[in-house]
Amino acid sequence: MAEIRLNNLTKRWGDFIGVDDQSLHIHDEEFLVLLGPSGCGKTTTMRMIAGLEDPTAGEIWIGDRMVNDDLPKDRDVAMVFQNYGLYPHMTIFDNIAYPLKVRGTPKADIEPRVKKAAEQVELTEFLHRKPKALSGGQRQRVALARAIVRTPKVFLMDEPLSNLDAKLRVTMRAELKHLSRQLQITTVYVTHDQIEAMTLADRVAVMRHGVIQQLGTPDDIYNDPANMFVAGFIGSPAMNLINGSVQSGMFITTGGTRLVGIGGPDRASAILGVRADDMSVHDPGQGDIDVTIYAFENTGESTLLTVQWGRQRVIARGDRHLRKEQGETVGIKLNPDHLYLFNPDSGDRIRLGDK
Amino acid sequence: MSEQSAVPTTGANSEFWTGKRKQRFWRMIQAILILIAAFIMLIPIIWIFLAAFKSHVEVYQLRLFFTPTLENFGTVFEQPYDLGAKLYNSTIVAFVTVIFAIPIATMAAYSFSRFTLKFETTILVVILATQFVPAVVIILPFFIMFRDLGLLDTRIGLIMVNLAIVMPFAIWMIKGFIDGIPLDTEEAAMVDGSSRLQVIKNIVLPMAAPGLVTASIFCFILAWNEFLFALFLTNREAVTLPIGLALFRGEEGDLWNLLSAAGIIIMLPMFILALAIRKYFVQGMTMGAVR
Repeated sequence: MAEIRLNNLTKRWGDFIGVDDQSLHIHDEEFLVLLGPSGCGKTTTMRMIAGLEDPTAGEIWIGDRMVNDDLPKDRDVAMVFQNYGLYPHMTIFDNIAYPLKVRGTPKADIEPRVKKAAEQVELTEFLHRKPKALSGGQRQRVALARAIVRTPKVFLMDEPLSNLDAKLRVTMRAELKHLSRQLQITTVYVTHDQIEAMTLADRVAVMRHGVIQQLGTPDDIYNDPANMFVAGFIGSPAMNLINGSVQSGMFITTGGTRLVGIGGPDRASAILGVRADDMSVHDPGQGDIDVTIYAFENTGESTLLTVQWGRQRVIARGDRHLRKEQGETVGIKLNPDHLYLFNPDSGDRIRLGDK
Repeated sequence: MSEQSAVPTTGANSEFWTGKRKQRFWRMIQAILILIAAFIMLIPIIWIFLAAFKSHVEVYQLRLFFTPTLENFGTVFEQPYDLGAKLYNSTIVAFVTVIFAIPIATMAAYSFSRFTLKFETTILVVILATQFVPAVVIILPFFIMFRDLGLLDTRIGLIMVNLAIVMPFAIWMIKGFIDGIPLDTEEAAMVDGSSRLQVIKNIVLPMAAPGLVTASIFCFILAWNEFLFALFLTNREAVTLPIGLALFRGEEGDLWNLLSAAGIIIMLPMFILALAIRKYFVQGMTMGAVR
């Protein structure tokens, strides 16, 4: 058990910057998710913590030891790989036992510990099989069992659920969360799936182009995005971003519609962010704006209305019992408490009420 | 034909040659062609096999039925032919070549596969390029060098030459297999607590085993069949089987029955090896190719 400190960590390959001078403090027993699109540097950051990649500059501390010059085997971490990284020529038992064997654990200790780890991930009946005789989900459990069979200082998980089918991913996600609460070991988890990040994390670090865009709890990230990238990356459907301007406290769309009062000084151009959940559907004339329905989708638990909004399309979420037809006109009302304004050039958040 | 078609086939000819029927026809043609090719390749071997059991006179008669004799196999081991000594030389040379070649090639292949080396591609190409040099061109320098070093007509000399011949193939082949091992697996082993050497011993070698077996056989065959260097660099002590074949030329012409018997003795280990490790061989070849 240990905290992790990354001090001004940089990774470059020639001119390509993987991770750009980032510092991060991961608390003891924390579950931290590195979230971002592919190529954002999240996996590189994790691989540097594991020792599989050497940083170009900066320091990595695990507990009270700087591990920059330590081999992976000496860092006392356990890692779950995206492609599981199982040993195909060994049985499941030997796969799980490998970290113990190679570290010279006494033989008598190995069997009970392997059995216990296998029990925790419900693999007991497969111990004598080879990995190729298991399904994807079961292989993933083997990888997990191999990680938890020791008690490492740190767990590293590199998109562990991304190779599973959608249904399995949801169940494995819950199991992972349960397991991590039980084990209470500092965990770094890399994913591009914002739902995994939201559900699993104590804190999320959203990364882009090798730079951490925002570090905060899932609530912070969702309700108080630091910039347009974070706002657009988190949430499903993604936050609607509407081009326009601010004139005497009103947000006016590029099409010239006076939309909603947001206050603050005039701005020649601004982007209004609003989530589908923060828009309510009303009869025509009852909302802030009347729009025509471009597409109506029923997802079962709710309905999604893609509406034509001048030249843009915007997605609003409606009640699960709502039924509308394509081409109908509806009134949309925006929740004034959950509106976000962004600078269209830099993507930075403009805090409402800021000067 | 017993199969029943759901589509009526009484119509025009074009309807007859559709889908499955066409496919089946081409399959049959393929099978026939393969059989013909196999037969053509097998003819010399069948001929040798028959001739080895014939007497000197019978060889020239193309008869399939005759009284087989084992006499030839006895004769080739007697003086002046003394095939036993050659068999011994060939066995020692081929085995020792493989025993040295495979570990060295594995280490080289692993380095090429997993580390970024300076001039990596160049070195790899140069290693392969050594094989493009015709053996005849370098045989004289070899001869003079070996004469000065006292390696002429020694098994050690032959082993060194054979190593030079098989190493490039072994390195390239084994590299292909190691490339096919997912990096994730090795990295997992390293994070799990293995040193680089433990990774190689516990993970890479077992996973590359089919490839190593394939490469071993390949090297063994190369060394076992090597002719040109053995011809020039040996004359009495270290003569190998392929050179031994040349002995069966008497004043009365080629002794085909003895040649054939010796030929079978040369081929036999190949057949046995091929049968014993057929599973590995196919698995190995596809594994290297598909990845």
